[in-house]
Amino acid sequence: MPSGGLVFQSVILGLLLGGLYALLAAGLTLYFGIMRVVMIAHSAFLILAAYLAWWSHERLGTDPLLSMIVTVPLFFGAGVLLQRLLLSRLRPITLTMMSVLLTFAVALIIEGLLGYAFTGTQRRIQLSYGSASIGLFGARIAVVKLIAFGLAVVALGGLYLLMKRTTFGWALRATIQHRDAARLVGIDTAKVAGYGFGVGLATAAVGGTALSLDTTIYPSLHWHWIGPLMAIIVVGGLGSVPGAAAAAVLLGLMQSLLQIPMGTTWAQTIFYLALFATLAFRPQGFFGGRLAQRF
Amino acid sequence: MPSASRRVLTAVGLVALAAAVLSFPSLAPNPYILSAGIVVLNFAVLSTSWNFVGGFTGYISLGHGALAGLGGYGTALLVTRAGLPSFVALALAALLVAALAVPIGLAALRVRGASFVIVSIALVLILLLVFQSWAAVTGGSRGLVVPRPFPGLLRPEHHRVFYYLFAALLALALLAWWLIDRSRFGLGLKAIREDEDKAEALGTPTLAYKLIVFVVSAGFTALAGGLYALWFGDLDPVFQFSILTGSYLVLMALLGGVRNLFGPFTGALIVGVALEYFKGRFGNTPLHLVATGVLLGLVVMFMPDGVLPALGGLLRRLRRTQQSSIREVTAAELRDEREREEARQ
Amino acid sequence: MRSSLRRTRWATALAATTILALGACSDDDGGAESTDDPIVVGISLPLTGDFSEPGKGVQQGYEAWAKIVNDKGGLLGRRIELKILDDQSNADRVVADYEQLIGSDKVDLVVGPFSTRLVVPSARVAEEYGMLFVEPAGAAKEVFSQGFKNLFYAAPAVADDHYNHLAEYLLAMPADKRPATVAYAAMDDPFAQGTAYGLKAKLEAAGLKTVVDEVYPPNTTDFGSIAAKIAASKAEMLVGGSQYQDGVNLIVALQQLDYQPRLAAFSGAPTNLEFAAAIGNKTEGVLSPTGYSPDAPYESNKEFVEKFKAQFGKEPEEDQANAYTTGQVVGAAVTAAGCAEQGDCQKKLVDWVHANQVETVVGPLSWDAAGRPQGAHMIQQWLGGSIKIVLPDPVKEADLLYPKPAW
Repeated sequence: MPSGGLVFQSVILGLLLGGLYALLAAGLTLYFGIMRVVMIAHSAFLILAAYLAWWSHERLGTDPLLSMIVTVPLFFGAGVLLQRLLLSRLRPITLTMMSVLLTFAVALIIEGLLGYAFTGTQRRIQLSYGSASIGLFGARIAVVKLIAFGLAVVALGGLYLLMKRTTFGWALRATIQHRDAARLVGIDTAKVAGYGFGVGLATAAVGGTALSLDTTIYPSLHWHWIGPLMAIIVVGGLGSVPGAAAAAVLLGLMQSLLQIPMGTTWAQTIFYLALFATLAFRPQGFFGGRLAQRF
Repeated sequence: MPSASRRVLTAVGLVALAAAVLSFPSLAPNPYILSAGIVVLNFAVLSTSWNFVGGFTGYISLGHGALAGLGGYGTALLVTRAGLPSFVALALAALLVAALAVPIGLAALRVRGASFVIVSIALVLILLLVFQSWAAVTGGSRGLVVPRPFPGLLRPEHHRVFYYLFAALLALALLAWWLIDRSRFGLGLKAIREDEDKAEALGTPTLAYKLIVFVVSAGFTALAGGLYALWFGDLDPVFQFSILTGSYLVLMALLGGVRNLFGPFTGALIVGVALEYFKGRFGNTPLHLVATGVLLGLVVMFMPDGVLPALGGLLRRLRRTQQSSIREVTAAELRDEREREEARQ
Repeated sequence: MRSSLRRTRWATALAATTILALGACSDDDGGAESTDDPIVVGISLPLTGDFSEPGKGVQQGYEAWAKIVNDKGGLLGRRIELKILDDQSNADRVVADYEQLIGSDKVDLVVGPFSTRLVVPSARVAEEYGMLFVEPAGAAKEVFSQGFKNLFYAAPAVADDHYNHLAEYLLAMPADKRPATVAYAAMDDPFAQGTAYGLKAKLEAAGLKTVVDEVYPPNTTDFGSIAAKIAASKAEMLVGGSQYQDGVNLIVALQQLDYQPRLAAFSGAPTNLEFAAAIGNKTEGVLSPTGYSPDAPYESNKEFVEKFKAQFGKEPEEDQANAYTTGQVVGAAVTAAGCAEQGDCQKKLVDWVHANQVETVVGPLSWDAAGRPQGAHMIQQWLGGSIKIVLPDPVKEADLLYPKPAW
């Protein structure tokens, strides 16, 4: 029987982890909402952003958080280009299947180039506050994990405001809900879809920076992330950003708590079990998504 | 409307191909080349097996590597734990994997497109976790040694025997694909590929059809995986349950052409040689990943129907003057054309 | 090298058509070996992929060996030429590589790859072609239970015996002073797990209680939950079956939770040159087993360290030393048998290694019938900002510090 202290500590770790999952899954589900694309390369971009944060810290000595000044606009641009130049040129009828393969190819290219540029060595940012922590009712919260969580919350909040309070967000939601109708009311859906992709990829830049603060990175790490993230967006209901966030926090928490009795490897299976359970019992997702059954 | 001369041509082509495949072992200058031939044949069987689902129904699975891994581990465990003879174990393992494919298929095939791809990837990842963690049965990261079916054979002889076994399995898989292709069942599957809703409305039992072909595909994939395990001798979850394997199969089938009987086989030849070439060309840098990625990207963007149809199209254009047959067009192509025209307006 | 690569490529392409096969067959070479030819040593290494980093250390060790031998006139008057292929950290590839090296490139000798997971499949190829197979990396006990007769591990001890000296030391302590509870965290890798579980078996037999026993997959990057479990158990002693980065990550996660054990031992990580900086220089008292020390007094070691520094600009570490040791063992066998080519010669080489002891940079080595080396690892400890040998007594540079100061 685990002690109360350990459970409390695990709950905190799970919530911190869930926050990061939520940010990363938000981008992934956004692409899907916009054009029914499963973006395999999302986590490869995540690792790319983490490498850029590590590299700027290593070379320039700046705080890794500052790298976002460059990476966020850069990734936004890359997202727009990826959508406009590659994905929008695929045949609409086979788009979903072919986009998987195309973004898979992009992921391979990124992994190969990262390996070429930085070798396969595992990297970790060494921060002066890397092992610092603060106490909370007997549990310890690492400062770096708290910063990563804060980044995720700020970015998700920004995404929420963007979606709900701006004209662009209105157009984006209209495009997601009904593309043809959106076009009828005068929305340039092609352009909006491109910018939507940019926003999704920008979240990967923020997520990657957050990730780099407290974990090791290496080129093939993205395979480790893509599975849980895809499970999260299905459980949350494909295309639903709030659903993905809720599923992310819940699954992060469950993973952390299950590690106590089951160990690291078995605890990871919760993502896939949740995925299979969702498809078997509630294919539209548990948090209000409505696209999964059909796509 | 195949004329008699065309039938003769096809027969000559088939005999030449079979002769080329069967004479390879005696022409291979050393055992290494022979083993490389086995690897290509294994890819060809796996990719043809994948094409039962990918080619007929249009559902793209990135998880067939997992089914091959299950076949390999199933065979190995039945030999080491249950003491069955190697090839009995192989057949039984394939049947078990086919049976297991029923619930997997029921979960995965109820959903279309994106969810199916996600499920197929999840299948690889969850099996990797299970086979790594359940070390008491699978050996986990310590690996599992598969006893040789022919312990007395020297290594080059061992390669030769397995080369012919793989060739036989390939012939079997091709025959099954060809039979389905010509059947009513195959027609129903292709209707699903072109428009699932219409097929269902017209009375095709879509889920049952998809499930049957998925089970057949899983069975053949498991046979290939099991045969590979018997040949290779060492299993490790990390290498058996890899998404990369699954993606190579898709690349091969797509490159060759998913609607052609020999498409995946052609793709396996090209990719098998290309992988070797990239490795030699880029030596000790991970640029071989980049090369694979670029190749996959190019195929998806510019040749989604594969090289065989592209070559066929070229031939047809060259012969257009002499021939005036009705062109076979798929619904997808028609819709494409329409959409392109709409876009132009 | 280029031409043979091209030949291979051709030869593989011949899978495509019979016509090609007929063409390529005819240029298959069958030239006889002359004594002026170099001795070609075939190696497959993970130059890319997940094992590539330690793989590079092994490559440097082999390169240092070839250079040092060649500078002294080679073996049997013939130069050493290394032929290294990249296995991409993949078992299918490693087997294909050794098939190619032995069958197609007709190398004279082969030596082992890196990582235990790749050693067993590649050793099987070498065994079935009757080649001597000395290897620098396969230390887990599974390697030696396959019935290989041509395999030899070129390091002082197998994984399970790495902590033997530490176990003896702890068991010799009075029962009330030694740690009563132990936490184990090991990577799911036969080598890393072997080191931790070898010690675990001995300590459990002596009544030290295991309070945490965690195994994590090699791709684990977040150690928060594992650290939380260890911290909650308040284990007095911590044993990490780690490679490098996982050990660093675990220590940092434990520091974040302010867990302070009285004794902490990690395999792999602490001997790395970058270890101290990676954990914020809070290294005092951390223990590690090692099979190699640049300061070891063996005769060939002085030459190795000096020339390695000249070649690579840094001190050799364990991976480099193990690869160099592999070269030394093979070199000794070749010199004694007076031959180096495929065929009957390999049997002579194997028999010689079985029957003799070889002087190496890690000390004199000899093997049992399964190829297990018959030695033990030294135990090192971080003291005053550098890592020193503390066990066993005859070679120690300092006394073992216990209990460990806070990190």
